[in-house]
Amino acid sequence: MKILVPFKSVPDPYAGAGAAAKSVINPFDEIAIEEALRIRERGEATEIVGVTIGAPAVDEQIRSALAMGVDRAIRIDDSRALDPYAISRILRTLVEREAPQVVLMGKQAVDDDSNQVGQMLAGLLGWPQATFVSKIEFLDNKTRAQCSRETDGGIEVIAISLPAIITTDLRLNEPRYVSLPGLMKARKKPIEVINCEQLGVNVHPLTTTLSVASPPRRTAGTRLESVEELVTRLKQEAKVL
Amino acid sequence: MDFAWSDQQRELLDAVDRFASEQLRYDMIENDRNAVFNHDAWKKCGGFGIQGLPVSEEYGGLAQDPITTVAALERLGYGCKDNGLNFSINAHMWTAIIPLVYNGSEAQKKKYLPGLCDGSLIGGNAMSEPNSGSDAFSLATTAVRKGAKYILNGSKIFVTNGPIADVLLVFASTDKAKGAAGISAFLVEKGSPGLDLSHKIEKMGVRTSPMGEVFFEDCEVPEENRLGKEGAGSWMFTRSMTWERGCILAASVGTMQRLLETCIRYANERKQNGQSIGKFQQVATKIVDMKMRVESSRHMLYHCAWAAGRRKAVYLEAAMAKLQISESWVRCCEDAIQIHGGYGYMTEYEIERELRDAIGSKLYSGTSEVQRNIIASMLGL
Ligand SMILES: Cc1cc2nc3c(=O)[nH]c(=O)nc-3n(C[C@H](O)[C@H](O)[C@H](O)COP(=O)(O)OP(=O)(O)OC[C@H]3O[C@@H](n4cnc5c(N)ncnc54)[C@H](O)[C@@H]3O)c2cc1C
Repeated sequence: MKILVPFKSVPDPYAGAGAAAKSVINPFDEIAIEEALRIRERGEATEIVGVTIGAPAVDEQIRSALAMGVDRAIRIDDSRALDPYAISRILRTLVEREAPQVVLMGKQAVDDDSNQVGQMLAGLLGWPQATFVSKIEFLDNKTRAQCSRETDGGIEVIAISLPAIITTDLRLNEPRYVSLPGLMKARKKPIEVINCEQLGVNVHPLTTTLSVASPPRRTAGTRLESVEELVTRLKQEAKVL
Repeated sequence: MDFAWSDQQRELLDAVDRFASEQLRYDMIENDRNAVFNHDAWKKCGGFGIQGLPVSEEYGGLAQDPITTVAALERLGYGCKDNGLNFSINAHMWTAIIPLVYNGSEAQKKKYLPGLCDGSLIGGNAMSEPNSGSDAFSLATTAVRKGAKYILNGSKIFVTNGPIADVLLVFASTDKAKGAAGISAFLVEKGSPGLDLSHKIEKMGVRTSPMGEVFFEDCEVPEENRLGKEGAGSWMFTRSMTWERGCILAASVGTMQRLLETCIRYANERKQNGQSIGKFQQVATKIVDMKMRVESSRHMLYHCAWAAGRRKAVYLEAAMAKLQISESWVRCCEDAIQIHGGYGYMTEYEIERELRDAIGSKLYSGTSEVQRNIIASMLGL
């Protein structure tokens, strides 16, 4: 069984305020990579292919994925700001080329929280999908997968036939730490770089992001000398009394 | 001369930085007080690849050259405040793994190195005895051949990792009349008949690194566990001791760097007489001296490792690096306490522990006096 894991490079969500945010693999996608590795380790998968779309800068996250244990990686060389539909169309072409039995990916990226690509990809391919998954088991000689889905009402267990799209939720697993031996092995693993033209897919975003603004910053407070002063200022400046 | 790291070295060192700061941060005050060895952290380091850094890939290591290895250990010391764990790891690497790498038979290397690299086995070195310390080769422990076995009798003291060791490299005399040329080395496994590892020794610093006395009472060691030839013990010891001196304090350079940064932060934050204490010249000078010590220590460490990687003899360089780093480390800790005033003396501030951890470095792997003897002799004195 071959598993394709699409992953996105996002600014580190755990970087402290003020620190120059370095890029990391989207945490939900990292969970998908970890799950693919576990499936391979229990002998149910033979190859894990990672794919990401972006400029050469994302090679660092590709190396992290390879260091975790992904067998080989593909970078679709495209530095445009693509929307979920464009991404899904590129991935569909790649899925057709690679012919995996399972596409395993994060339920959403933590930078734009779109939560669309897995679903759109399933739609474009006409494949079944299991989203927000917290447990995966393969059944019937790996022709079907039984997936537990985290919903507001509780855990829903569904069975889908393969090939299929599975998107991962937070509680599926805890991704492993990249070890030095993993890092060394990753140096010898291939990264294929290919662009949309070579892949034969012509995409342009249908959505345009107009602006991104962070919430207003809280300014420092002032220390007052007395309760009288507080009352005065609440009346005159804040006008709340 | 090129002082730049290659991309591959930088990638590896960044990974160690991240590993140490994210995976090896835990409460040290309680662990130090109760002298707790962190087994879990040891295993994590093994899984991550620390112990196997200098070992070739066929035995489960990462085949890194000496300079990359010491730089990685420096990062470990920077990110992980458990100086005892760092010391146990370094003792394991330089006094057990390295002698095995250089002198082990194929069968011995296959048997022990993969486990010593991946964290499943703990190694140590038993040379010092109650009556032979600096004059190590005057040891009294004996090994007498009996068929396909050796029978060991005697005792060892100050054995780092002794109480938790799976395998110890033990030096004993197979021929008293030959003196140093009659010393042989043995890989003695935990559980060997007649071996007693149960006597722990309580100490001032690096308290989270277990230390013990080791007793041999007609202890049986199979012949295939002799390391190297009979009588080659003192030669092997001198050779691996050069590695040990040059590298065992790599983590301490990182520790000093962390202390320096802590002191700079504190000197900027702490105000007296309406200004940051760092503005007082006497405080600033201490920090400047600290910086000078860290940098000179780092350069001597790197230079020694660089030369060792080019297969040059580093007998002198290793002694100088050991002397410089250990004495700088102790001075840095003293200054760090002074800069922190009364707070620096209090357990909660975690600086007094650093001084206690540092002081032993002037004793193990050859005392400062012994390093000075070596340097003097290399200068023709
Ligand atoms: C934290 C720690 C960990 C250790 N781990 C190990 C270990 O894993 N395995 C092991 O075998 N040993 C270990 N040791 C022991 C260490 O190697 C010895 O303590 C050291 O070699 C000194 O020996 P000694 O303690 O017997 O002191 P001595 O040799 O008795 O020295 C006492 C004093 O005399 C000085 N002196 C001695 N000879 C000379 C000389 N020729 N010229 C000038 N001055 C001299 C010394 O410098 C010292 O100041 C460890 C020690 C410490 C503190």
